[in-house]
Amino acid sequence: MRLPAINLRRALLIAQRDYVGYVKTVGFWVSFFLPFIMGAILLFVASRGINVSPVRYEAILDETGQHRAGIEALHARSASQELEAITRRLLEALPNDEKAQGLVKTIDAEGFDSARAQINEDFPLIASQLEKAETASSKMVMIPAPAQTIEAIKPFLDGQEMAQYEGDAVKLNGVIHIYETDSLQVDYWSANFNAQEAQNLATRYFRDLATADYLAKGGLNTADYFQARSEAVQVKSFDPTKVGGSGAGSEDQAVTIADRMPYFVAFALAMYLWMSVFSGSYMLLTSMIEEKMNKLLEMMLATTRFSEIIFGKLMGIAALTLTATLPYLLIGIFGIAGVIAFGDSAVGEGIISAFTPGLLGFFAIFLVLGYIFYGSLFIALGAMSESIQDAQTLTTPIMFVLMACMFVIPLGLSTPDSPILIFASLFPLSAPFAMIVRLPSDPPLWQLCLSVTLLLIMTLGVIALSGRMFRYGVLSGSGVKGLTDWIKRKILRRKTN
Amino acid sequence: MSQTPLSLDAVSKSFQGKSAVRDVSFEIGTGEIVGFLGPNGAGKTTSLRMALGLIVPDSGTVNLFGAPPNIDNAFGRIGFLPEERGLYKKQTARESIALMARLNGMGRKEAFRTADKMLDTYGLSEAKRKKNKDMSKGMAQKVQLLSAIAHDPEFYILDEPFSGLDPVNQQALEEMVREIAQRGRTILFSTHVMEHAERLCDRIILMAKGRKVFDGSTAQALAKAPRRLIIASQDEQLTDTITPFAKKIEPRMDGSLGLTLKDKAETQSVLERCVAQKITLERFEPKAATLHDAFVALVGSEPEAEELS
Repeated sequence: MRLPAINLRRALLIAQRDYVGYVKTVGFWVSFFLPFIMGAILLFVASRGINVSPVRYEAILDETGQHRAGIEALHARSASQELEAITRRLLEALPNDEKAQGLVKTIDAEGFDSARAQINEDFPLIASQLEKAETASSKMVMIPAPAQTIEAIKPFLDGQEMAQYEGDAVKLNGVIHIYETDSLQVDYWSANFNAQEAQNLATRYFRDLATADYLAKGGLNTADYFQARSEAVQVKSFDPTKVGGSGAGSEDQAVTIADRMPYFVAFALAMYLWMSVFSGSYMLLTSMIEEKMNKLLEMMLATTRFSEIIFGKLMGIAALTLTATLPYLLIGIFGIAGVIAFGDSAVGEGIISAFTPGLLGFFAIFLVLGYIFYGSLFIALGAMSESIQDAQTLTTPIMFVLMACMFVIPLGLSTPDSPILIFASLFPLSAPFAMIVRLPSDPPLWQLCLSVTLLLIMTLGVIALSGRMFRYGVLSGSGVKGLTDWIKRKILRRKTN
Repeated sequence: MSQTPLSLDAVSKSFQGKSAVRDVSFEIGTGEIVGFLGPNGAGKTTSLRMALGLIVPDSGTVNLFGAPPNIDNAFGRIGFLPEERGLYKKQTARESIALMARLNGMGRKEAFRTADKMLDTYGLSEAKRKKNKDMSKGMAQKVQLLSAIAHDPEFYILDEPFSGLDPVNQQALEEMVREIAQRGRTILFSTHVMEHAERLCDRIILMAKGRKVFDGSTAQALAKAPRRLIIASQDEQLTDTITPFAKKIEPRMDGSLGLTLKDKAETQSVLERCVAQKITLERFEPKAATLHDAFVALVGSEPEAEELS
């Protein structure tokens, strides 16, 4: 197979035209800044403690008079546990000085609620975060029941009447109705039945109660039961392939969060690769359709080779894709830097060590080959299209393949030895994405070589094929009929009518 | 370099079993202005595409500047305006011209300088910074022609340059072609509008149904056209008197007769015969031959109205 001759200057001019043509549009800059705008909005929402879901007011109508206080206490305890978890996470990011160690001891010994005064005094940053978290977590507020029968409460549930809470009129979202017939009955009434927090809270309360009753019948104490559960032996994970250490329980071979990071990094790279290939190919397709609509190709072909136009477009849109995905890259880089600087140091180290030369090298190879493979194909199909409708019809099978790759990539996290993933990593159309997610699990060298070789052969084939399709699409026929005629004439060597 | 700009030798091309060009041969010499005429579907565009190497002929040989047509042999020496019109909608006129000039080897600064100069020269100064999508059709067509010729090529191949233009812009374009010709450039332009060829060309090549039916000077082509005259008289003997000289006699709306003379008949003989018969002539008007008449004579049939004007 002879590779087409290319004059780099002319190809670069085509690339420049395509790049500038897109970059000059308002739409491009809107999509460029969109991740930053969305990030800023999210930061603002987080910093202001704005709830994405509304506060829901729930009531308990306890005809037995035995359970309301217990459910409300459980609700308060759940909120407290959430705040404790936030405090512990923030403490890990702060310098581990005497004050911090003292606070941890207080929480461990006396409970979180006892430590709140100390937090407010010595840790204003944590205190402010807890305040915001309290606001944000107060999605469910327990209020007194506005009436004493379920029939009388129903008008409050459908909004005909408003309940009162701390002097404000509020809409009652739901009511937990506890009553007895032959046995204890608990119903949850709400017009908004998809919001199940209150129902889940009541369910949890009665499960705990049933557990406590059962244990009590055996003469056992509930607190002791939960204490025994929390003291159960933790099953640790060890990796025999890790270097260093030997024997049972070797800490050097214990699986840490850092060991899991390469899988997440490979997953992120595969997603980036997929996004780049998908968006780049789609832009090439629309660029070709626009080119055909502009009707300038034939004039350019008098002075520029087909191969130069294809190569120029590939370069121009590659630069454009890189520019368009730059915000995501920057956000990723700043995110990693943030984790390294302020987060768990083990996670930070794990992320850094995940970027091995091997992973980056194969990422570059698969990015280039994957982009050229799909890009050339989409250029050819774009050349065969007269309209967006033509393009949609012609690209549907390839779009299905690309979408299927999206379902294969997550297998790299859960089951990297899945036969489907192994096949996908060798099959040229999915290899760029599937092999990247397999890299942390050290696939056999022959599979790596086979994957790259097959993809390279297919890419060269597609380049040659797309050149011919491009020529035919521009000068002779287009649409589905154009493609079928071309296949009959050039592939099947048959004359068509 | 003095190679023949273009030569086609026994070139044929079929598409999907249908013959588009059949055994066509011609040469275009340096400095010639050649009209490539024929109705729609005559094979003009296919021939021009083969001349540029965009399409490979099924048989025969094409040489561009003495070598098979490709970018390496003809780079920067050809200015091609295709039949399909178009420009990048978001580019300005100067950007469009400069892009094509740069693709033809010109440096960036020189390309923009040339674009500005050409736009000034051809009365398009106000279009310099105007986006192509905001231009009138005529203006955009001129800009595309300037894009095709900004690098001052040796050989211009213009496919239907006048189509879609109003009479004023057609006139302006004719002047542009004349100006290019005065600089000694070779021009091959296809058209189905015979009047342009009559006014501009030294030589015409006539195509019909994929075949070349005539190749010669305009005068030679016109000589192929049958002579016509319009004759009118109240005398009832007129028709009988002129019938021996006539290939065809057609009554006209104004009562006169349109007479197509037989090949060997002379206008003078018709007049002498009428005088001898003492016929009082109200009108005796020889009609100048046109390329349209020549085409009909050469092809042997009348093209459909929309095909040839």
